[in-house]
Amino acid sequence: MKALADRILSFAKADQTRVSLTSGVSEFTRTAMNRLTTAGGTTDVTVRVTSAIGKRVASIDTNRLDDAPLERAVRDSEALARLSPENPEYLPEPSAQSYPEVSAYYASTGDLTTDDRARSAALVLERSKAVNTIAAGFIDVFAGSQAVANRNGLFAYHASTGVASTLTVRTPDGSSSGWAGDEGADWTTIESERIATEALAKCQAWRSKTALDPGTYEAVLEPTAVGMLMSRMMNAFDARAADEGRSYFSKRGGGTRLGEAVFDERVTITSDPAFANGETAPFTNIGEPTRKETWVEKGVLKSLAYSRFWASKQGVPSKPAMSNFIMNGGDATQDDLIGSVKRGVLITRFWYIRPLNPRMLVETGLTRDGTFLIENGKITRPVTNFRFNQSLAELLKNIELIGRPTRVCASESSSIGAPIIVPALKVRAFTLSSVSDAI
Amino acid sequence: MRDDRSTVSRRKFVKLVSGAALAAGISDLGSAAVEAQSDTAPGPDASERELALAALDAARTAGALYADVRIVRALSESIGTRERQITNVSKSESYGIGIRAFVGGSWGFAATRDLARDAVIRRAREAVTTAAANDRITPNQIRLAPAEKVPDGRWITPHLVDPFAVSLESKAELLFRINDEALKVKGVRFVTSSVTSLKESRLLATTDGSVIQQTFIRVSPNVNVTAVAADNSDSQTRGATVGPAGMGWEYVTGLTLPERAIRYASEAVAKLSAPPVEAGRWDLVLHPSHLWLTIHESIAHPSELDRALGYEANYAGTTFLAPPDQVLGKFRLGQPLMTFVANRTEPGGCATVGWDDEGIAATSYPIVDKGLFVSYQSATREMVDLVAPISTLKKAPGHSYGQDWASIPFPRMPNVSLQPAARNISEDEVIGAVDRGIYIEGDGSYSIDQQRYNFQFGGQTFWEIRNGKKTRQLRDVAYVARTPDFWNSMAMIGGRQTYQLGGALSDAKGQPMQLNSVSHGCPIALFRNVNIIRTA
Repeated sequence: MKALADRILSFAKADQTRVSLTSGVSEFTRTAMNRLTTAGGTTDVTVRVTSAIGKRVASIDTNRLDDAPLERAVRDSEALARLSPENPEYLPEPSAQSYPEVSAYYASTGDLTTDDRARSAALVLERSKAVNTIAAGFIDVFAGSQAVANRNGLFAYHASTGVASTLTVRTPDGSSSGWAGDEGADWTTIESERIATEALAKCQAWRSKTALDPGTYEAVLEPTAVGMLMSRMMNAFDARAADEGRSYFSKRGGGTRLGEAVFDERVTITSDPAFANGETAPFTNIGEPTRKETWVEKGVLKSLAYSRFWASKQGVPSKPAMSNFIMNGGDATQDDLIGSVKRGVLITRFWYIRPLNPRMLVETGLTRDGTFLIENGKITRPVTNFRFNQSLAELLKNIELIGRPTRVCASESSSIGAPIIVPALKVRAFTLSSVSDAI
Repeated sequence: MRDDRSTVSRRKFVKLVSGAALAAGISDLGSAAVEAQSDTAPGPDASERELALAALDAARTAGALYADVRIVRALSESIGTRERQITNVSKSESYGIGIRAFVGGSWGFAATRDLARDAVIRRAREAVTTAAANDRITPNQIRLAPAEKVPDGRWITPHLVDPFAVSLESKAELLFRINDEALKVKGVRFVTSSVTSLKESRLLATTDGSVIQQTFIRVSPNVNVTAVAADNSDSQTRGATVGPAGMGWEYVTGLTLPERAIRYASEAVAKLSAPPVEAGRWDLVLHPSHLWLTIHESIAHPSELDRALGYEANYAGTTFLAPPDQVLGKFRLGQPLMTFVANRTEPGGCATVGWDDEGIAATSYPIVDKGLFVSYQSATREMVDLVAPISTLKKAPGHSYGQDWASIPFPRMPNVSLQPAARNISEDEVIGAVDRGIYIEGDGSYSIDQQRYNFQFGGQTFWEIRNGKKTRQLRDVAYVARTPDFWNSMAMIGGRQTYQLGGALSDAKGQPMQLNSVSHGCPIALFRNVNIIRTA
C-alpha cells in the first residue's frame, strides 16, 4: 500500500495532496426459508485522491490502479480543485504523525472460506429444521486494510478483519420470531451454536404473546437493544453542533455543556482504537491519530469532538470523533436485572430507529424479536411489539442497574459496523407509545 | 506548479469552463460524459462485450447451469455547500465485473475490480465453485422462470442535458444562489445545499444469449435551511421538498430552487414560533412530496414478493401481505379510488430502466386494483413460479437489480405509484373538503415495523386547515397508524395536475445491504380521522 500511495503521490502537482486507500475482500453467506439462498465475495480497492490548491479542494475516487488512470485521477482532482470556490475551512494536510499500535487483523477471520461459512450456516439450518422453525441468517466477513498518505510525509496503515453473524428464527405460521447475533474482529469469538440456541429459545418463548397497554414502564434492555440506541449517539458528541445551538450538549445562551453532569453518575463512555475485538484504525480519514478518549465520566460531559477547523476557531486542540463506542458496565447478571423489576418489560432489540428531535436526542423505533412482561422479578408472559418514542438522554439519566459490557451487532442490517461495546441496562422509565402488530 | 487558469478571475472562469469546455480540464470523466450527450442509447464497448462473453464461457465450462455477468462503470459527482462556502466537491468512478452462477439449485457470486482477462475468468470459476459448494453442503431445489433472449438490447435514461456536461462552476453558482436567497430571511442561521449527479454504464450478458447495454442517469438536489432562536433555545430545520429523478440536468434547473429556498427559509423561521400540534384525531391532506414516502414504506415494501416468501426475514423483515394464497385477490387494502401500479417504465422514475439484471424487459402492472391487493412486485426469475398459479403475475416482471458490479442482483422495488383521480380534482378542492385538518408537505422522520403495520411519519411543514382553508403553521406533528386502517381512511385524491414523483437514491435492503433508487408518483390525497401525536 505504501508503494501504491507513493506512486500516486509522485503524480501530484497541487499544493497539498492526500491519498486514502481501502483494499479488501468482503464475503457473505445468506440463508432464508431454511436454505442457503446466496453466497459470494467481492474484491475491491478504492483510491481517493484529494488535492488542494490554496483553499480550493476536491477529491476523486477510483478503483482503477494502472498508472494511466491513477495519474488521470490526480490530474482530475487538481482540475476539480481549481474549479472549486475556496473552502475557508480547509486546513493544510498534517505532517508525519505517530500512532498507537493497533493489531486488528485476525487470521481466524481472514482465512475463512466459502465452505467454512456454508458449514456454519448448515449447522444452524439443521437445528432450525429439527424443531420445525424457519431460519434466516447472515454471515458478513471483511478482511483488508486501509491507508492514508500525503506529501508532507504522513503515512498511516491499518489492517483489520471483521465478522458479523446473525440469525432470525420464525415459526411457520409467523406467530413468533427470535433473534440472536454476534459481531467481532475475531471469528473465534463468534459462537454459532449459542446464536442458534438463543434465537430458537427466544422464538419458543415469544409464542402466544398477548397485548400490553402502551405506557411508561421499567425496562430491561439487552445489550443489543442498548447498542442499537447508543450507536445513534456517536455523532452527538460534536463541539461545533453544540456551540452552534443544535445539540443536546448546547448550553442555553451559548457554548457547550462540557464539565456539566449530563447523565446518571454511573455512565462512563469512552472510545479506544485498541479495544480488543472492537478495534478501529488508530487514525482518521486525514491521518490524524485517534487515541483512547473519555467522553463522559461518571455522568459528566468530559470531551466533545473538534474538527481541526473548529478547534482552530475555538483555540483548542483538535479531537477526532469517536470511532467506537464503549460504555462501562457493572456486574449485574441478566437475572439480577430482571429480578429488580417490579412491573416492566424485557426488550431483545429494536428496529427502524429514526431521530425525532436531535436536540433532545429523541428517537422513535420499534421493539423486535422478543418482548416480554416482567412482574415481581420474573418474566410472566410474552407481549406484542411496541413503538417507542424516547429521549436517549433521559434513558441515560434513568439507569438503575448495569450489566457487563459486550460487543454487539448494533446495525439494523446486521452487517459489520463501528464497534459498539455496551452492557445490558435496567432503566426506571422507558416509553412504549403504541402497539405494533408486527412479529 | 499551477497552470494559467488558476489566475483567471472567477467570473471569466465560469465562461471558460461552461458546457463542454470542461472536458479540456477533466480528461476522463468529463469527456466520457460529453461523448454520451446524445439521446441515442449507445451499444456495448467491444472489449467489455468480449470480456463478458469470456466470463460466461468460463462459468458454463466450469459447470454453471446458468450465469449472468454485469460490467458496470459508475460515475458520481457531488458538490455540497454550506452558507457561502463549498463543503465538498468529489467525483468517483467505480468499475468492475460481477459474475453470478447457478449450479444445481444454488447461487454463487464473485466480483472483482480487476478486469484483466485471466482475473475475470478466475472469478467466474470462483462463482461456480461457490455455488457448487453451497449446493453440496445445503442442497437446494429452485427453478428459474424463462427469459426471452435479447441479443442486442440498448437503453439510456431519457434526458435533455447530461449532468456531467454541466460545469461544476455553474452547479456551485446555483447552490450559492439558493443559499443566498435563504440567508436573506431574518432568523436563518444555517443553510446547506448539494447536488449529486450519477451516470452508470451497465452491460449485462447472460447464458440465455442476452447482451444488454444500458446507461442510467440520475440527479439529486437537496437543500436544508435551519433557523435558530435568538437565545439558542431552539432550532428548526426545513428541508427541500424535491426528490431525485431519473432525468438529466434539466430536472434540477426546472425546479427553480432559489425561489423555493425563500419559502423554505421563511417556513423554517415560522416553525420556531409555530404552536405545537394538539394530539388527537385530525383529517390529513398529504402533498405528493410527503405522500411518496408513506407509499414507499407502507404499500411498496409490504407488497414485495421476496418479503412475503421469507427471503428478508433476518433484516428488512416479512410482511402483513402474506401468506400469498390468503391475500392475493382477497385483501382489501383501501377504497375503490385507490389503484397502485408497479412501473419500471414511469418517465423520470429513479427505478426506470429498459431491462432488469436478469435481462427481463421493464413492465408496468397494477398491484392494488381499486383497493384490492392483486399482485406482488419485487419478483425475480427464481420466485415468480411460486405465485404464478394464484396471481396475475405469470412471468418475471423485471425486478432484479444489483446496486453495482460488486453486489449480487436480487429482487428490488420498481417505481410504485398511486394513480390520480380520473376527474381533474385540484388541490384547493381537496383542501376545501376539510373542516379541521393538517396539510403536510415534505418527508420528515419516518419509521415502520418489519411487517409494515405500525408506522409513524413526520414531515417538513404542517399547516392547520380550518373550514376548507390552509391557515397557520403547526409544529412537532407526526401521525401514527396501522397500514390497512390508514389506507382505508383515504377519502379523496387529486387529479393528474396534482400528480408528482418523489423518491430516494438510497433505499436499503438485503444482506449485504444494497441501495436502490426508486420513485413513487402520487396525487395529493385526503385521509380522514388520523391519529396525530406531538413529537416534542
